[in-house]
Amino acid sequence: MNTDRNPLSDKELWQRFATPAVAAGTAAGTVSDIEFASWLEGRMSEAEASRIEAAVAADPILRRSALELSEVLGMPFPAPSPRLAVRAQALIGFEAEREASRGSWLSRLLGTTAGFGMPRAAMASLALVVAIAGFMLGGGLGESYAEQSYVMASNQTTQYSGQSNDLTAFFSTDGI
Amino acid sequence: MTDLSQIDLAALATGNKRAWDAFVVASAPLINAVARRTLATYRVSEDDITDAAQDVYVRLCANQFRLLKTYDPARAGLSTWLAVVTRSTAVDYARRRRQATTPIDDVPETALAVEDRHVERLKIPPGLLTDRQTLILKCLYDEERDVVEIARMLKIDAQTVRSTHHKALLRLREHFREDAPEAVSGGPDRRG
Repeated sequence: MNTDRNPLSDKELWQRFATPAVAAGTAAGTVSDIEFASWLEGRMSEAEASRIEAAVAADPILRRSALELSEVLGMPFPAPSPRLAVRAQALIGFEAEREASRGSWLSRLLGTTAGFGMPRAAMASLALVVAIAGFMLGGGLGESYAEQSYVMASNQTTQYSGQSNDLTAFFSTDGI
Repeated sequence: MTDLSQIDLAALATGNKRAWDAFVVASAPLINAVARRTLATYRVSEDDITDAAQDVYVRLCANQFRLLKTYDPARAGLSTWLAVVTRSTAVDYARRRRQATTPIDDVPETALAVEDRHVERLKIPPGLLTDRQTLILKCLYDEERDVVEIARMLKIDAQTVRSTHHKALLRLREHFREDAPEAVSGGPDRRG
């Protein structure tokens, strides 16, 4: 029994021992997220929990995670900024729209990318509408044909009128 | 408001918009709280906390919800698993942004202690202490946590922690032939 020095306190005793650091990624320190969560909830068997406890004991970062997470999970959560939910919810809507447009047959018909083909289709459609409107305003096919027919008919009537005058003159001189 | 336990995980993993929106609303308080606690020592702004929390959602839905599909409800609750994922994501975020600046009062004394090179540190023989005994001693003395915090982490009662601590020290003292141990109540239950 030592009498020439004061006995060590529990803390001093512990500090006498070397605790080597564990390199990152070693077997003792490799704990998956689901394993860690399962251990935090106390849902592991004794053998499984022992492995996780060894890893947590060896790794100070894992140890601090365990202590802080168990503290936070036991407390009520304050309301987050509304901006967080808005931004997070927007993640899926954007992705869904991109997926839908990527597979469109119209985009393949009009161009290699929907972004380039759509303006061309729109311009072509607009040009067609303008042409049709202009044509309709000018009377359309029906009136154009009627006008042509009238001109042709007028020309023919003029010719026939000349001929009948000659015949009348011929018949009138013979007393017919 | 939908509780996390009511979330349709199958629909969520297929990218169902309605399921995702409900999941975000249900999980945002938890993710925000864990990100805030993790980043407390990094002295970041509110925007950084929101950005770190947003990173969690990005990770969850990336690559066709690959991370979310690793979750197994038979092994752990969704809240706890999300908290673990959030913490690691927040740590990654902080490391990308800046170096940690920890107030000196928040650092355990053992991390700041200067090693007395005149005292040879002893190695604990393998098998002398159980993993749990080692963990409790490290939490008590290296992390300077109290019995209640350790009991909460290990899901055991405080008396079990004290008992395990006492037995561990007995083993150490017997092995290294130190004097008889102090009474447990005068040791680690007190802070500082």
